[in-house]
Amino acid sequence: MKIMGVGGGAREHALAEAIARSAHSPEIYWVSELRNPGIYKIVKATGGEYALADTKDAGRIADLAVKWHVDMVVVGPEEPNFHGIPDEVERRGIPCIGAKRSLSIIEMSKAEMRRLQWKYNIPGKLLFKTYQSYSEALRDLERYSETLTWLQNVALKPARQAGGKGVKVVEDSQIYLHAEKQEFKERHMRWLEEYMEKYSDIEEKILVEEKVWGPEYTLQCFVDGRTVVGMPLVQDNKHAHEFDIGPETGGMGSYTGRDFLLPFITEEEYKRSIEIVEAMVKAIQDVTGEHYHGFIAGQMMLTEIEGPTLIEMYSRLGDPEGVNVLALLKTDIVDIFEAIIDERLAKMKIEFSDEATVVKSLAPKGYPDFRSLAKGHPVYVNETLIKEKGCKLYWGSAHLGLDGSITTGGSRLIEILAIDESPAKASQRIEECISLNPVKLLDGWGLFYRSDIGSAEMISRRVELAERVRRLYKYREERGTLGKRIDWLPKIGRVDPVASLLKELSFRR
Amino acid sequence: MNTPGILGIYPFGLGRENWRISRFVYYGLLALQHRGQEASSIITLGDDLHVESRRGLVEDAFNEKALLSIPGFIGVGFLSSASNDSPIVISSPIRLVLVGDGMPLLGKDRQSAWRAFAELLSDEISRTGNSLKAAVKLVEEVNGGYSFIALTEDQEMLAGRDKYGIKPLEIGSLGFDLGAIASETSALDVLGMDHVLSVGRGEVVRFDPYSIERMRVRELPNPAYCSFEYVYLARPDSILNGIPVYSVRIRMGEILAKETPATADTVIGIPETAIPFAIGYSRASGINVDLGFVTTGRRVRTAIKPSVFERLMGVQLKLNPIKSAVNGKDIILIDDSVVRGTTLRNTVWNLKRRGARRIHVRIGSPPLKFSCPFGVEIPPPDELIARSLSEEEIAEVVGADTFSFLSVNGLSQALGLPPSNLCLRCWLGGVKS
Ligand SMILES: Nc1ncnc2c1ncn2[C@@H]1O[C@H](COP(=O)(O)OP(=O)(O)O)[C@@H](O)[C@H]1O
Ligand SMILES: [Mg+2]
Repeated sequence: MKIMGVGGGAREHALAEAIARSAHSPEIYWVSELRNPGIYKIVKATGGEYALADTKDAGRIADLAVKWHVDMVVVGPEEPNFHGIPDEVERRGIPCIGAKRSLSIIEMSKAEMRRLQWKYNIPGKLLFKTYQSYSEALRDLERYSETLTWLQNVALKPARQAGGKGVKVVEDSQIYLHAEKQEFKERHMRWLEEYMEKYSDIEEKILVEEKVWGPEYTLQCFVDGRTVVGMPLVQDNKHAHEFDIGPETGGMGSYTGRDFLLPFITEEEYKRSIEIVEAMVKAIQDVTGEHYHGFIAGQMMLTEIEGPTLIEMYSRLGDPEGVNVLALLKTDIVDIFEAIIDERLAKMKIEFSDEATVVKSLAPKGYPDFRSLAKGHPVYVNETLIKEKGCKLYWGSAHLGLDGSITTGGSRLIEILAIDESPAKASQRIEECISLNPVKLLDGWGLFYRSDIGSAEMISRRVELAERVRRLYKYREERGTLGKRIDWLPKIGRVDPVASLLKELSFRR
Repeated sequence: MNTPGILGIYPFGLGRENWRISRFVYYGLLALQHRGQEASSIITLGDDLHVESRRGLVEDAFNEKALLSIPGFIGVGFLSSASNDSPIVISSPIRLVLVGDGMPLLGKDRQSAWRAFAELLSDEISRTGNSLKAAVKLVEEVNGGYSFIALTEDQEMLAGRDKYGIKPLEIGSLGFDLGAIASETSALDVLGMDHVLSVGRGEVVRFDPYSIERMRVRELPNPAYCSFEYVYLARPDSILNGIPVYSVRIRMGEILAKETPATADTVIGIPETAIPFAIGYSRASGINVDLGFVTTGRRVRTAIKPSVFERLMGVQLKLNPIKSAVNGKDIILIDDSVVRGTTLRNTVWNLKRRGARRIHVRIGSPPLKFSCPFGVEIPPPDELIARSLSEEEIAEVVGADTFSFLSVNGLSQALGLPPSNLCLRCWLGGVKS
């Protein structure tokens, strides 16, 4: 059997590894933009081939699949989905694990995702507005005291998924700092408008969403068009630096707990979360008439408004979250892929080992916002040392040159995984490993990572936060006010922002 | 009493240089004002280093216009109750500015000790080329009870605490943009930040444009958190070392009620610090709590006013008794601590004039008998009333029917920490417990 993978990050390295573990002993073929040293090794060991190509170029990717006579294609990242790689591959008669273009809109357009959720009345919604330009958005945001309360505390986002970049969360509730915050919002919206110029596949540029608070978690699933199968929950950590400080990244590290849950999420909350993802899959299939084959994930937050709430969706596995779950997956992944293709997941038993995992990302200084500084540094890795310490390494943004040298690609370089009985223990294991400096940049440029991921300190903070949120949403539940927001404006009176939003949405249709 | 407030705010990410940080520093300092009222400094770093040190309260020292004229996107703030206290600026070998709370044992007074510390830091950074290691080495080698924030010419912000964790230091975060370090969480709250954790004892945290790193000394002694922070210095809305100040004060009042009960009609706390003690005393004794005083003028902390005259003026303005709350009643009057007893005497007299009958004075802390080796300027021992008089004698002096302190054990119980994990030098003196 021959399987071809698309994409060159740590998540794809973990995918390649999981495929290589299969009892089918597939020959593995791969295509990505940089030559991932880890994937390259796996590909060579199975007798497959590795090509470098633009993974957004559907024709080129499909050509390679045909040329190599592969039996199936597995897509790792989101952009190939947005660019219709699964569509084109299947058009050439090769089954594909990956959301088709029209389905992947659920991730590509944060605006479409939200509209779908409101249209189908799926729980875990947030108020939002979209704008085509900075000046249009400004009209709403500058009228501080006459505007709806939720418009003061907002998340400002690119309306399109833009590589885990560009989101700012601004709580503008201290009137004495309003001038600074307002200036910041304006500057950021101007930046968003410019940043979105490079995407021609979406009209809306800026999404303004009500700001919520609470612990975040990711629920990743397999989907075959009929059945959604949930995996263990993972918490990713977006802030670049220790203590949840600093800019948004693609994810600096993640952990799983035991029994599919996290220490701060209950079984009931897991159940509600999977119901949300199922409903979203049904809705997008309903709208497009397509069957969803592949991975899907809900990036969730437990909020006081509704409990489990959808922040965004992935049409793929998360990175680093994918690394956690694939490390625990006991069932043969190729069997799962075949079941997805044949739409018989419902009959399959998918098992994960009941252990905790922690993944920590190492990135060159400069990531995420000053990537040119982070790029092009020569890398040294002592893999034996990492193994000796009971950890595993996954290559991320790195390029293996023809001469065998490895250089940084500018994003997260390496992810280190440990498995243990608790996240705290796994985290500690990675700490011991990293303290021996198994990864270095040979030109002396610095690497950074977060020592706090999965630590007992971090988890007790998350638990405390979740308890505060849970008390609030449970109280709403008792009173029957889940999801309800009521505001009051001088001269206008009582306003129901949900009703106004629904009215706007129906007007749009 | 000099227990400066320190604060550092550091922006990250694309566009970080666009923040005008001066107003953030200003509002953060306002929430630390109780730690120092005679000198206020705002330090910013952008294209250049700006150090603005002024006399008086933050609100008097900086007006809106002054704030808008201070450029820079990295900010540090400093407050002190000594008018000659100011940030330490070192120009070579590594240019840096440093603000500190408490005192490293490197000199006779705060100013010279901190100068010596800052010079050592500058030398060590220049020698090793690694500011984090340099600062950890200093924390390892320099004894004392202190915390500091330093800003270097390379836009590195270092924040560290002594090995015992005597002086507090807390960490906050705002959105995807700002990180901050402050003496107390009250400053983080007022800035709308999330409180994340404490800087660990013997730990240094370094912020640079691309990362945050932390490192600890190799060998950590037992902690010795300053107990006076919880009794008097810190704001009740602050959480220090994971321990909420308000709950500690409530518990102190509760324990006080058990240790030294009294019969009375009402419990009254002396504003503002002793109010939580009074609430605790009332809860444990079942005696109602009353608001006994209204303050005039802005909030002044009488214990940290320099001269006796100013102190008394402060008290009289601050504490106007509410006659209907005290007239004809037996009162349990609670204060946080006693230094000279002058203000207490004045207060008892005032209550009696408004018709109070019996007055039982209860103090939410043990007798204050020793000076602080780490720069908390408690008056010299011969000016401390508890040093020379017994409880009965103090009762006589201040005109109370009975008078008692909280025991050291009670204090430790209220904090939920054994005496061996607390700095108790001001109550017990010399040797480290
Ligand atoms: N409405 C919101 N309220 C509060 N925080 C939010 C909100 N939306 C996003 N965030 C924060 O910003 C991060 C990134 O937002 P997300 O929508 O997932 O965009 P990205 O595509 O950049 O991952 C989230 O992980 C969360 O921490
Ligand atoms: Mg996201």
